[in-house]
Amino acid sequence: MSFEKHLNILDYALQTFWRRKLKNVSVIIVFAAVIFLVASFQLTTSSLVKSARKSLARAPEIVVQKMSAGRQESIPLAYNKKMGAIFGIQIIVPRVWGYYFDEINGANYTVIGINPALMPMGRELDIVFEEGGHFPKPGEAALGSGILQSLALEGRQVFSMYRPDLTLKTFRIGGIFDSVTDFLTSDTLITTLEDGRDLFGLDEEKVTDFCVYVRNPNEIETIAKKISTALPDTRVVTRPQIEKTYKMVFSWRSGFASVCILTALTAFIIFAWDKASGLSPEERREIAILKILGWQTADILLMRFWEGLLVSILAFIAGYLGAFIHVVFFSAGFFRPVLVGWSVLIPDLTLVPDVTLSDMLLVLSFSVLPYLAATVIPAWRSSIISPDAAMH
Amino acid sequence: MILIQLQQVTKTYNQGQANEVRALRDVSLEIEANSLVCLKGASGSGKSTLLSIIGCIFPPTSGRAAIDGKQLSRLPDRFLTIHRRNTIGFIFQQFNVLPQLSVLDNITLPLLPLGVSPKKRKERAYVLMERLSLSHRANFPARQISGGEMQRVAIARALINDPPIILADEPTAHLDSKLSHDFMNIISGLKGLGKTIIIASHDPLITRHTAIEKVIDVKDGRIHVS
Amino acid sequence: MIARPTHILAGALFILVLGVITLASLTGIKEDRLAGQTKIIDVVVAGLGLTDLCISTEARYTRHPAVSDPVVPFMDYPGSYEHFPTGSFWAPIIYFE
Repeated sequence: MSFEKHLNILDYALQTFWRRKLKNVSVIIVFAAVIFLVASFQLTTSSLVKSARKSLARAPEIVVQKMSAGRQESIPLAYNKKMGAIFGIQIIVPRVWGYYFDEINGANYTVIGINPALMPMGRELDIVFEEGGHFPKPGEAALGSGILQSLALEGRQVFSMYRPDLTLKTFRIGGIFDSVTDFLTSDTLITTLEDGRDLFGLDEEKVTDFCVYVRNPNEIETIAKKISTALPDTRVVTRPQIEKTYKMVFSWRSGFASVCILTALTAFIIFAWDKASGLSPEERREIAILKILGWQTADILLMRFWEGLLVSILAFIAGYLGAFIHVVFFSAGFFRPVLVGWSVLIPDLTLVPDVTLSDMLLVLSFSVLPYLAATVIPAWRSSIISPDAAMH
Repeated sequence: MILIQLQQVTKTYNQGQANEVRALRDVSLEIEANSLVCLKGASGSGKSTLLSIIGCIFPPTSGRAAIDGKQLSRLPDRFLTIHRRNTIGFIFQQFNVLPQLSVLDNITLPLLPLGVSPKKRKERAYVLMERLSLSHRANFPARQISGGEMQRVAIARALINDPPIILADEPTAHLDSKLSHDFMNIISGLKGLGKTIIIASHDPLITRHTAIEKVIDVKDGRIHVS
Repeated sequence: MIARPTHILAGALFILVLGVITLASLTGIKEDRLAGQTKIIDVVVAGLGLTDLCISTEARYTRHPAVSDPVVPFMDYPGSYEHFPTGSFWAPIIYFE
């Protein structure tokens, strides 16, 4: 088949596409919506994984928690000494962290009590606060913007929280986290180790976990194993595991997302088959006329293929571009309710996904290929219409 | 010179089924090159079927059909199509012009699968449109032109490939007498260009026209040459 | 003079490519802005020992999936208390030894 013949048939397919624009545009809109759904899921989760990978690159190398009957409980400070004997550990930092449930607002806050002097980059922490802010001194707390709003603390200097025995603990506001850290700290309250212990009513000899740092990052797994052996009642989480968690947690191919996507795709393929199968009398006549005028079955099939390809490619472009704009410029606003669930505090997220060819091809194979497959038999059936149908 | 030759051709639709129809029975005829022939018969007589076999639309059920010495009876569909587009120009009943396409696009439809470029298609179409006084309507959608213009579009489309044979199936069925006369004038002119023309019709204006050299009566699937 | 449909298609594709380039540039600007904030992010994560993004604060295992033990979803209520839709949107964490 010559190139000019291909172009001629493509010309005719484009003209036919335009002539039936109402039908074709309706298919494209529905198809693009399905692709928008699939691509939005994919881009949202890919940008969350990317964000986690970049942001959490400095997460603690090892986190040690105590487990009892499968549940986490406070860990004795004495475990510090046991771990200290392991060669290769640079520093062990005790922490107090937990959740504070604000009954009035129904919001959960993350509370961290820590001694920054012991943490990597701890002495630079003042830069993470808005102007005038600093790491809290004793009796002070630094807040994320979500807590500020939730407790309506704008312009106020002091607030209180309940200890477990329902007595009030008062904090002075030492700083507000910079808004660029919202996606990490929106719900977070930072205070000193002692104030954190006081708020949760923890014994002086107890903390909630340890952050462990090693001399040689290549030794993380080895040292984690040694800690597990030395302290068998602990759970040891390494930084590589944290990274892996986010890859798995935001897998768009599982659970709710894949059920939605597969259902929508299946419904659409059935719709596409139905649309492609029905030939109007005018369409039948047109094909019969073309055949009498010398168009072969292969030419008709090629024309129908071009039509199908045009519809699916246009839908793919519209859907994918729409999804990209939705995720990058509207922070996946459509999916936020699904991502955040019933959270009361909703931090700002800036999502910038990596658009890889393999991801795009995956969406293409989920959408365009099934569509072409669904329309190939109807296209073939139309191409074998007998030319004598035009004679009557 | 004999251009079209049919020997004991039969055509049966739905063979072996309850609704079997024998459209043609043992038809043998010869048509000379550069002649103007009329297949005359009422609706259902088999003249459209006979025209379809001559026009390589489908092969006969039995018998032999040849055009310019080439046997067509047992050719597969693909080769029939190729032969048809090189040899036959069709003018249909109701013209079968596609209303949404322009006059120019309708006329050049047969050239698309031949890989003819848009420039050449336009050149060839304009030559015919000039001859048939259609140039001023080239870019009009076919649904906006008159019945007479549509008739001429159908003729131009049949001629675009310069085929040696022109077949017309009831071309004046929906035309008034003036347009029917105009049609026969154009057809007579084509004969003068060396074409072989076969018209299937029961319109007396056609069957009794002076330009018709041979009338073949078709009745109940059989023919009688007069 | 009506243009050939394939030429119109080529023109439309060209405009599309321009649009995609523009979109990529705007995204690049956004990403550059984010890159400029890397230092603050690094300090807050390292300095406070953060392990998770703050996306969903409705439950422990949605707020801190990286450091929540597998029994946490069950601790919220006798029997598994599902935080729909987040709990089913996010895949369960499978730990490999």
